Amino acid sequence: MTLATPQLDPASHEGARPVLSVRDLRVTFPSEAGPVQAVRGVGFDLMPGRTLCVVGESGSGKSATAMGIMGLLPPSAGLSGRVLLEGQDLVGLDDRALSRIRGRSIGMVFQDPLSALTPIYSVGRLLSDALRVHQDLTRRAAWEQAVQLLDLVGIPDPRGRAAAFPHEFSGGMRQRVVIALAIANRPAVLVADEPTTALDVTVQAQILDVLRLAQRETGAGLVLITHDLGVVAGHADDVAVMYAGRFVEHADVTELFRRPAMPYTARLLAAVPTVDGGTRRPLVPIGGEPPALVDLPGGCPFAPRCAVALDACRTAEPELRQVPGHGEVACLRATEIADGSLDPKRDAAPVEPRSPEGRAAAGEVVLRVEDLVKTFPITKGAVLKRRIGTLHAVGGVGFELRAGETLALVGESGSGKTTTLLEILRLARPEGGRIEIAGTDVGTLDSAAAVRRLRRDVQIVMQDPLGALDPRMPVFHSLAEPLRAIGRDRAAVRTRVGELLALVGLDAAIGDRFPAALSGGQRQRVGIARALATEPKLLALDEPLSALDVSVQAGVINLLTRLKRELGLAYLVVAHDLAVVRYVSDRIAVMYLGHIVETGDTEAIFADPRHPYTRALLSAIPIPDPGRERTRERVVLTGEPPNAARPPEGCVFVDRCPLYREAGEELKRRCRTERPAQTAVPGSPGHRYACHAV
Amino acid sequence: MVRHVIRKAAGWLLMIAVATNATYFLASWLLDPRSNYRELRPVRSEEQIDRALAPYNLDPREPLVHRWWDWFTSVTLHFDWGKSPTGVSVNGEVGYRALVSAELVILATVLSVVIGVALGVYTAARQYGWADRISQAVSVVVFNIPASVAALVVVFVAIWLNQHAGMHFLYVAGENSPDVEGLLPTIGDRLLHLIPPTASLTLMGYVGYHLTQRSLLLDTLGADFVRTAQATGLTRAQAIRRHALRTALIPTAASVAFSVPAVFTGAVITETVFGWNGMGRYFVQTIGKNDVHGAVATAAFAAALTAVGAILADIATVFLDPRVRVS
Repeated sequence: MTLATPQLDPASHEGARPVLSVRDLRVTFPSEAGPVQAVRGVGFDLMPGRTLCVVGESGSGKSATAMGIMGLLPPSAGLSGRVLLEGQDLVGLDDRALSRIRGRSIGMVFQDPLSALTPIYSVGRLLSDALRVHQDLTRRAAWEQAVQLLDLVGIPDPRGRAAAFPHEFSGGMRQRVVIALAIANRPAVLVADEPTTALDVTVQAQILDVLRLAQRETGAGLVLITHDLGVVAGHADDVAVMYAGRFVEHADVTELFRRPAMPYTARLLAAVPTVDGGTRRPLVPIGGEPPALVDLPGGCPFAPRCAVALDACRTAEPELRQVPGHGEVACLRATEIADGSLDPKRDAAPVEPRSPEGRAAAGEVVLRVEDLVKTFPITKGAVLKRRIGTLHAVGGVGFELRAGETLALVGESGSGKTTTLLEILRLARPEGGRIEIAGTDVGTLDSAAAVRRLRRDVQIVMQDPLGALDPRMPVFHSLAEPLRAIGRDRAAVRTRVGELLALVGLDAAIGDRFPAALSGGQRQRVGIARALATEPKLLALDEPLSALDVSVQAGVINLLTRLKRELGLAYLVVAHDLAVVRYVSDRIAVMYLGHIVETGDTEAIFADPRHPYTRALLSAIPIPDPGRERTRERVVLTGEPPNAARPPEGCVFVDRCPLYREAGEELKRRCRTERPAQTAVPGSPGHRYACHAV
Repeated sequence: MVRHVIRKAAGWLLMIAVATNATYFLASWLLDPRSNYRELRPVRSEEQIDRALAPYNLDPREPLVHRWWDWFTSVTLHFDWGKSPTGVSVNGEVGYRALVSAELVILATVLSVVIGVALGVYTAARQYGWADRISQAVSVVVFNIPASVAALVVVFVAIWLNQHAGMHFLYVAGENSPDVEGLLPTIGDRLLHLIPPTASLTLMGYVGYHLTQRSLLLDTLGADFVRTAQATGLTRAQAIRRHALRTALIPTAASVAFSVPAVFTGAVITETVFGWNGMGRYFVQTIGKNDVHGAVATAAFAAALTAVGAILADIATVFLDPRVRVS
């Protein structure tokens, strides 16, 4: 396999030899249904200093590829092929031999920084241990180097913080430590497995910068595994698209985004919600589900979901082959697609646009929140708890939501958006302010029966569909439970469950299955169906799409839009992903540290964001277009949200505000001491923001 | 760290004081020392009985609070735990028995922890291997054997071993032989007597540690941070030892403290079977004889043992988990 990788800057490493060559890598896991072929023949070359992005949906084999390269697969997994690292084949080496290479020649950054660090050691100890595994250093020298590494990855006060334990750091800071661990011994290759998936979008931008800095410092080749095409556009030199355990397209980043030659890539790009541009372009769901990797039938695994598949596609699996001017593609029709004579997206229906009447038809007020306040006590002591402070989770939030309308609460983790949602769902008198649901003030509910009656009107859809469904209950029982709870008889339950399944576009046969036997998209549909069982007026959706893959997401967005129109529901959505929010919501409220800093119609917010925090949030979302992503000007937020136990006296955003730093003395004083009031934007009804400086 | 342990120890001391005093009141309400005299012939009047109990601070005519205060001052000032309804000094009874029982309970606890944890670690690292399956089956069976049956099995095994070895080296009755003299022979003789009951108690105790430690370690074996440790260049065995095991030991260390009372109750049966004059048997006797002061002293002894276990567990936790030292 000789790959003439198209390069952005071929002069920089002419004659260089690849630091990592993978050939025909195969990974299998045993399962009850037979061996799962997670990776089926992956190969690539990685040059020093270059970045290869491996992109794919969950279950496509990207993480298994990374673990296979690192030799960190569980013992039950089977591994074959060749992994040549600086000329040495890693496949077949025993654990002892591999341990001499791991960390020294190849380092790894993991997905979840909260669990990737041993909780009982200080970060300085973890780093110096990592150094001392491969280098003959004294304790003191290793500690010094550890402090330098912490400084390099941008931990403030590295000398003081080296003695701190992982739980004393935020997620973003822990991921910096994980990166420091990976580059401690200056490896030639870095493997990063979804390094920013668990982080907030503003922190993601910082971590990707650190990763780039680390790569530049060490000159390492980087294998960056991600599902986020925006990250790929910003960081890759080469891109490999994985589907069903294989590379289906492997090309230079600009080529791939300019004209994807594999129908899957093209459809994936069309299904990604974006925040750029003046208007929303419609999303196109791929339809269907990725295949299970047990006993794959012959033929192209994407053929059943492909709009342009030929009969030949279903008989033999196409090999990865060179397409002139476009890298390698595993598709029989790649040449046609690459020269523009065939549109791989043909016949695919876009997500139906929201009807303009949708807004006008907005009905009665279903939810009214006024000045909602929620605090948590911070206590100390084991037996006698002393209150040592107050965590201001939500401070004076207010909004209205009408039937047939969607309001999205958006913000970073810790902004109080989920607390707001839970306070509403609690159906009890709030600590401060007023909550009115379907015309009833929840503070006036005096009996448990009244609460139960109101509970029918408010339902929730959870973030993680697998965690939200009882694994020991078939779908039918999960859906029947809320109906039985409100006293429906057996026959009524049976018919209603059938209706519900049809409503969310699921087959009635699914009722007998257990959640584990469903795909992610199907599970989330069941979650939605269960929430609809009692015919609620208000549906609270807590990050309803963040656990779903891009290709499935578009379909669920579609479903939510249809249900809202047909049933006249009101949605209160909590989300951190502004791009997705753009496709589901009519109005947006941006939250920061328990306060709404800007609110308005979705398109008004996207077209004309006023508050500096909204601008930074929008700017932090990577755009899946390499040209624009690399040249656009970004508002980068430094630092992390401050402690909600000591919110600033004036504007809550003051510590991170880019405008504050440039402001004059008088304005600075106001920002520090005076809470900004909500200001209306002239000519844009309902669009308000809270800032002194705009 | 020293401050942390001292603070914890002070807390436990308070706990012992509260528990012991509470037991005093409970025992005084529930146990009736007069019944010891009712069976005597010639039959005595209630008046006579009360008068007979008066010197031992058990006279029911005296208000309970007064009796408690007398008992309390004599315990705190002279460490005198009072007398039984028949006038036997509790201190005299307890002193020797406490030594015998503490020896048994502490040794059995330590052995249970060491064997159970070692087995848990060994089998977790070889999940579903034959060693794991067999040891787990054995543990589950042992778990379901009542303490008295287990003690009898140990007795039979000891006798069988004695017969096959052709000499009498394992003793299944009593805590020492009466006719041994000199320091070294005494220690040797005591150790030989100690083996069978300790084995029996350990058999009852190790299972819990084996099964919980196994599942605790299995939980952490799959943890992300073990993989991170491997990625920095540790072998799997090193990563397990330095990162997974240490984390998984913390809950075990904390649970040791609260297993001491269970071992102590187990010792009641074991002491009976092996004919030991320990605190376990004494406890049963005191309750049978309505001996308020004896029962309270036993409860205090059990509380003290628990506290010792808890403080040891705290020290172990501090050693294992440096986060405790910081906060």
